[in-house]
Amino acid sequence: MSGIAAKLQHKRDKSHGIGSNSRAVKYLNQDFEALRQSCLERGQLFQDDCFEALPSSLGYEELGPNSYKVRGITWKRPRELCSNPQFIVENATRTDICQGALGDCWLLAAIASLTLNKQVLSRVVPHDQSFEDDYAGIFHFEFWQFGEWVDVVVDDRLPTKDGELLFVHSAESSEFWSALLEKAYAKINGCYEALSGGSTTEGFEDFTGGIAERHELSKADPHLFNIIKKALDRGSLLGCSIDITSASDSEAVTYRKLVKGHAYSVTGAEQVKYRGDTEQLIRIRNPWGQVEWNGAWSDKSSEWRYVSDDDRRRLTKRCEDGEFWMSFSDFLRQYSRLEICNLTPDALTGDEFKKWAESEFEETWRRGVSAGGCRNFPNSFWMNPQFVIKLEEVDDDHDDGEEGCTFIVGLMQKNKRRMRKMGQDTETIGFAIYELPEEYSGQRQVHLKKNFFTRNSSAARSETFINLREVCNHFCLPPGEYLIIPSTFEPNKNGDFYLRVFSEKQAAFQEIDDPVECHVEQIVIDEDDISDRFKRLFGQLSGHDVEISAFELQKILNRVVTKRKDIKTSGFSLTTCRNMINLLDKDGSGKLGLVEFKILWTKIEKFLEVYKERDTDQSGCMSSSEMRLAVEDSGFSLNSPLHQIIVARYSDKNLTIDFDNFVCSMIRLETLFNVFKTLDKNGSGNIEIGFMEWLELVML
Amino acid sequence: QFKSSDPPPPRRPLNFAESHENDEEKKFRRVFQQLAGEDMEVSPNELMDILNKVLGKHGGLKTDGFSIESCRSMVAVMDSDSTGKLGFHEFKYMWNNIKKWQAVYLKYDADGSGTINSGELPKAFEAAGFPLNDQLYKLIIRRYSDEHGSMDFDNFIGCLVRLDAMCRAFKTLDKDNSGSIDLDIKEWLQLTMYS
Repeated sequence: MSGIAAKLQHKRDKSHGIGSNSRAVKYLNQDFEALRQSCLERGQLFQDDCFEALPSSLGYEELGPNSYKVRGITWKRPRELCSNPQFIVENATRTDICQGALGDCWLLAAIASLTLNKQVLSRVVPHDQSFEDDYAGIFHFEFWQFGEWVDVVVDDRLPTKDGELLFVHSAESSEFWSALLEKAYAKINGCYEALSGGSTTEGFEDFTGGIAERHELSKADPHLFNIIKKALDRGSLLGCSIDITSASDSEAVTYRKLVKGHAYSVTGAEQVKYRGDTEQLIRIRNPWGQVEWNGAWSDKSSEWRYVSDDDRRRLTKRCEDGEFWMSFSDFLRQYSRLEICNLTPDALTGDEFKKWAESEFEETWRRGVSAGGCRNFPNSFWMNPQFVIKLEEVDDDHDDGEEGCTFIVGLMQKNKRRMRKMGQDTETIGFAIYELPEEYSGQRQVHLKKNFFTRNSSAARSETFINLREVCNHFCLPPGEYLIIPSTFEPNKNGDFYLRVFSEKQAAFQEIDDPVECHVEQIVIDEDDISDRFKRLFGQLSGHDVEISAFELQKILNRVVTKRKDIKTSGFSLTTCRNMINLLDKDGSGKLGLVEFKILWTKIEKFLEVYKERDTDQSGCMSSSEMRLAVEDSGFSLNSPLHQIIVARYSDKNLTIDFDNFVCSMIRLETLFNVFKTLDKNGSGNIEIGFMEWLELVML
Repeated sequence: QFKSSDPPPPRRPLNFAESHENDEEKKFRRVFQQLAGEDMEVSPNELMDILNKVLGKHGGLKTDGFSIESCRSMVAVMDSDSTGKLGFHEFKYMWNNIKKWQAVYLKYDADGSGTINSGELPKAFEAAGFPLNDQLYKLIIRRYSDEHGSMDFDNFIGCLVRLDAMCRAFKTLDKDNSGSIDLDIKEWLQLTMYS
């Protein structure tokens, strides 16, 4: 309940724009402006008690409090390290970031790419801070975390050894933004050591809110050149690198002057006429600002003589600035991987860039209900959350005559669980895409069942199922409606995920699910319809007050159900009996009269009938998939979150639901539907509840 | 058939919270690990065992033991991610409250009967942090007390855990402190079914 309230509020906040880059969520409720102001007033430098200058902020193992690596580390403020520290050196010609004693080169590469795009950089590194005006030892940065922007403050005490910064630092020794950014990123990840060993795409995404694809160049997509060209048109960040085979290989320079294990940026892609043929060229930048490729199409190579004067003037810049051209085919041969970070529309202002259309959903997989596993598990696959994307318009340019709609699907798992349960790793995740047949066209209030997936095969799917934070792939499919099913590899793995689609053209992207409705038929019984036998029975049970209390009801029901061998039950609780009486007690006496009791009896008989019929394996109880159908037979249509709740609340440890819990959940559902209907007097579909009224309703 | 890819080397767990714990908290974590078992989560059945083992022992309070239904309900109102189980932080929050409320129970059982009767109830609830109006007290007595209006210990705790969660849920949704919240049918059912 309290968790659900938080989830609902999070959704509402999001729809009001909280968590966007301009209205970032304050991490740990720390407010940069307020903290800085109070420090200035007290004349003190900020000391962050949420991320202290202590060994525990460094790490736990390699950088743990007892490791030799942390010996002699002292935390120093930039003013103790140099006389005139700068936050950003505006006119620095080289935005060279240097790696420190931590294995976070992936982060370094992402930070380096950031510096190429001033607009993107300014979102992560707010410019309202410096070592001069209003300096109070406090700085702040914004990161993207699972769908929302988070503003993180840090104090400027940095880990040093022998008077030098230990981790990321600028080549310019008086410049400190990159070291402070790394500290803020370490803070949201728990400690510095948590940053070692990641992928550049993770950094790309956390700094931009974009979606990052990876391409292995040894098995490159046939349309890759076109993908790169379009990515550049969209202001995407592109990084490429050459794999190393051993640690000693790192930053080794080949005889062609390419650096291994080093993160390059891709800055251009062009086609030129060369000796009567079309040649595809790609421009690459070495963030060192020097050391350039010396092969074909490099600065001084002869190939440039055979292109038009126009092209030569437009494309060549013969100086040692780290940037160079090479042919696309050489690129594929020389480099190992390419990473493209596609930016969200809000990251780019101005008309010079084309923009993706973006849509997103947050959902959950829960054991027994919506954690269905992949297609290898047809009995549960259909229970996964389902989404539909409607592709209507084809791309503007299709290079090879094939008309299609380009879109990127990214499935990301949230790691909240990893933080809570120490040592737990990410789940293995992926997704499948199905074409939605015409009979379902336009329908959004339907959760497709097992039959659909056994009869239809998928149109596309994620390249792999893998336990990375995100699985992301590029697709080009003909116009139509497509179903996207994200899942864990194996069923019954709990997880929270975030699903995004970036499409070239506007495309409607929706979660599809059954509507939430109650179709329970009202049972109308007249006293005259009740048989004498039942009346006599009632007389015996009810005693001298001629009414049945919750205590009496509990005794009666348990006497009846515990005799039966075909249904499992642990006996009706007093709470369940109270709920039953609340549902049917029309006169507010807290007890049931003859007619009310007859109605309840009829209901229980109906529940028993449904229960027996749906218990297909005759186990005596409902498995979670049997339960889903039994809920429908009982007159309710529920969406996935509600099915999840029923299983979480009423099932036992084997995910099965016994008879008393089944009855209890159905009675409670009907009661809650009734309460809502009563409160929603004008039928608007919304109710407004005050605090005391809330407590009266929910304490029952 | 799908095949899953080889996993990348595991990233190390985050230890931030752990390394900041004092000795008492470290001890509590060790106890929790024993109680919760390998999955580090407490199910309603485990909760029932814990409560009945640890709390039933006090001589000054009457209880017929925590029922499974009551424990299911407590897990539901405390669960932050609708998994049907309580994680470390959820359990710790609840446990601290229960210890506090146990002291309140003993103190406000003025006649030493081992139960809180309807006359003692308002003061006890106020001391627990929930000053309510008469109508709510009546409703609570009807729902949680026996025929004679006496509330025993397990009902007292069950009621307060629920009341506390309900107040927090309302406050979470009433972000601007307007005193009322708006809900549609889906939200209403999600909140109230999971309690």
